[in-house]
Amino acid sequence: MTENEHSENTREAEIREAVRDRYKRLAQKETPCCSSPEEATCGCGGIYPSAEVLSLPAEAVAVSAGCGNPAAIAELKEGMIVVDLGSGGGIDAFLASKRVGSAGKVFGIDATPEMIARARKTAKENGFDNVEFRLGEIEHIPLESNVADVVISNCVINLSPDKPRVFKEAFRVLKPGGKLAVSDILLMKELPSTIKEDVAAWSACVSGAMLEEDYLQAIRSAGFVSEKVVDRQVYSEEQLRSHISADSFTGDLGALVASCRVSAFKPGA
Amino acid sequence: MNRVFEMKKKLMDILACPVCKHHPLELNVTKEDAKEVLEGTIRCEKCNVDYPIEEGIPNMLPPESRGQ
Repeated sequence: MTENEHSENTREAEIREAVRDRYKRLAQKETPCCSSPEEATCGCGGIYPSAEVLSLPAEAVAVSAGCGNPAAIAELKEGMIVVDLGSGGGIDAFLASKRVGSAGKVFGIDATPEMIARARKTAKENGFDNVEFRLGEIEHIPLESNVADVVISNCVINLSPDKPRVFKEAFRVLKPGGKLAVSDILLMKELPSTIKEDVAAWSACVSGAMLEEDYLQAIRSAGFVSEKVVDRQVYSEEQLRSHISADSFTGDLGALVASCRVSAFKPGA
Repeated sequence: MNRVFEMKKKLMDILACPVCKHHPLELNVTKEDAKEVLEGTIRCEKCNVDYPIEEGIPNMLPPESRGQ
């Protein structure tokens, strides 16, 4: 291993740990992540109406703006097999579970044990029989190949230190013709280096974000086709500033970061 | 009996080794109740690795990522 590779690995481990630590603390809170603008784990601004979310029809959540994935969930059909990368407290997985019904199945993958424990508890208490949560990394999905109709992910891939690998894994688990429908924070232009190096800003979804064109290229390189940004909401300076440490950057933060919905297909239905 | 079988089938459903993607994996139960496997291992014979099940949760993190 060269010195460079070594420091790269250390950096990856450092990022993984920072991310896991942040989400561990979130999992222990009473309100789920993304339940309010103050508690949103990412730049999504709190799209989910907290405690009521599980009894809300998908349509009601679909009107929310920001980095949520409700539109991808709304497109799911009865009987589909869905994989949710970075399922967290399980909100998207539960909404997906309602759409795919008893003939379908949802697998939530998350690397934070506290999140998996919490999601499983919610599943049990609410009788979601068609949802399985598995403690695993989205860079090493513990599922067979060619099994999923749709892979969803809500504001998570930007947290990964190895995004191309996440897309390769998503491609692998999808059936031929299967769809990738993710929502994520993407960069409209390069971040200033002071923000990039801030690990706290990484776990807040900002400094780990990729340039939109690089993100789409990584999806293409994994083998996907027809990749496109279906929706893009550019953050205002004010929205962004609340997600990075106040002293890490003082310059212009406008038109820098956006919440995007991206879709792509595995060829050969 | 059937219910326990169903529960195990559900646990192992499309589960593969996160490292080599081998499937199916081998389930070894050391503690269970009527609803779930509480403690045990899920073994990938190809990698010769045991993934632990702790408090009902199978830990399918790659071995090098465990315990971080």
